Amino acid sequence: MNLKKQFMDGLLYQNPVLVQVLGMCSTMAITTSFFNGLGMGLAVTVILTLSNVIISAIRKIVPDKIRIAMFIVVIAGFVTMVDLFLQAFVPALAESLGVFIPLIVVNCIILGRAEAFSYKNGVVASFFDGVFQGIGYTLVLLAMCIIRELLGAGTFGGGLLAGGKGIQIIPSQFPAGMLTLPVGGFLVLGCLIAAMQWALSKSKK
Amino acid sequence: MSNEVKTKEKVDMDPKYIIKLTVTLFVTCVIVAGLLGLVNSVTEGPIAAINKENTEKAIQEVLPDLEGSPATVELTAEMTAAASGAGATLTEAYESNGAHALKIVASGSQGNIEMMVGVDAEGVVTGVSIVSNSETSGIGSKVMNNENGVLDQFIGKSAADGTLSVGKNVDAISGATVSSRGVTTGVNAALAVAGVMG
Repeated sequence: MNLKKQFMDGLLYQNPVLVQVLGMCSTMAITTSFFNGLGMGLAVTVILTLSNVIISAIRKIVPDKIRIAMFIVVIAGFVTMVDLFLQAFVPALAESLGVFIPLIVVNCIILGRAEAFSYKNGVVASFFDGVFQGIGYTLVLLAMCIIRELLGAGTFGGGLLAGGKGIQIIPSQFPAGMLTLPVGGFLVLGCLIAAMQWALSKSKK
Repeated sequence: MSNEVKTKEKVDMDPKYIIKLTVTLFVTCVIVAGLLGLVNSVTEGPIAAINKENTEKAIQEVLPDLEGSPATVELTAEMTAAASGAGATLTEAYESNGAHALKIVASGSQGNIEMMVGVDAEGVVTGVSIVSNSETSGIGSKVMNNENGVLDQFIGKSAADGTLSVGKNVDAISGATVSSRGVTTGVNAALAVAGVMG
């Protein structure tokens, strides 16, 4: 177990979004305001960590042939729990994330980490893998949110600051509204992935 | 990956192995379902309270003269038929002093728009409030957020105005015609329902 390597992998070298290119759907769909990004990131981190720990704990008794089915049952269980808790205690977030909370079940980051990491590693290592991969995912979401919100709506901290409207930084007639639409998600994500690959290839040299 | 390594594992048609798989999966599902039941028993109350609060808030918005809490009206076949005749679905109805609050679902540009429409005893619209929607942020959402009073323009309309339609007697927000049409359909349905309720 190598905590530092796991940490750097989650944030940079094996970043779930920018390097593994997993979880694209939610990344593009919900990164329109800061609050959404933070909420989605935390929800995925919690679910990923819990499911990593459980899958790692039961990995020796899970028959190989049905492991995917077992993973999905465990993941779906946690997602439903988080969904219910959000609806009950953070209704504003549950409403703005909508269907993307239940869809975490099929978010490839979680199944991907189950298959690639926690099915082969110990409980403690899997726990930290969940935390670090989750943080890596959250940071990319936040970066996407900040860029899209600032250039698309001219605000910062939407849904959270200044009574939910966010702080207006660019006067409202200037921003390109397109960036808050799905097409803007593709553009921003493409640019981020390109920048990340450039930085990684440069650091290798 | 791990499949290739463990090809020696006995799989094919071995009844014991198949039973083992089934039992493992079944037990897991039972455990997960049990846990979900526990979580549900904790969150059930708060979720029901929030839904009730949202509904009451929407009713208060569309019935300005509301006193006390409105009574729930049982939906009749006649009422639901009136709504579907106008192209929308009636899901809930409330009544207070002859005024009605009707929860209507109509289709927008991205999915269903759920709205509460208030109609007073004379059959005049007293308010429209959007309960839930999935319209495009920045375009259809302008209609949903009542920008430029686009939802307020329905106040005062009644069956006497004939069928409401965007471009004729309803102003749409440019770029959000489909969303505006969805709301208009919903209001038409509400007026039709209020008509049969008397």
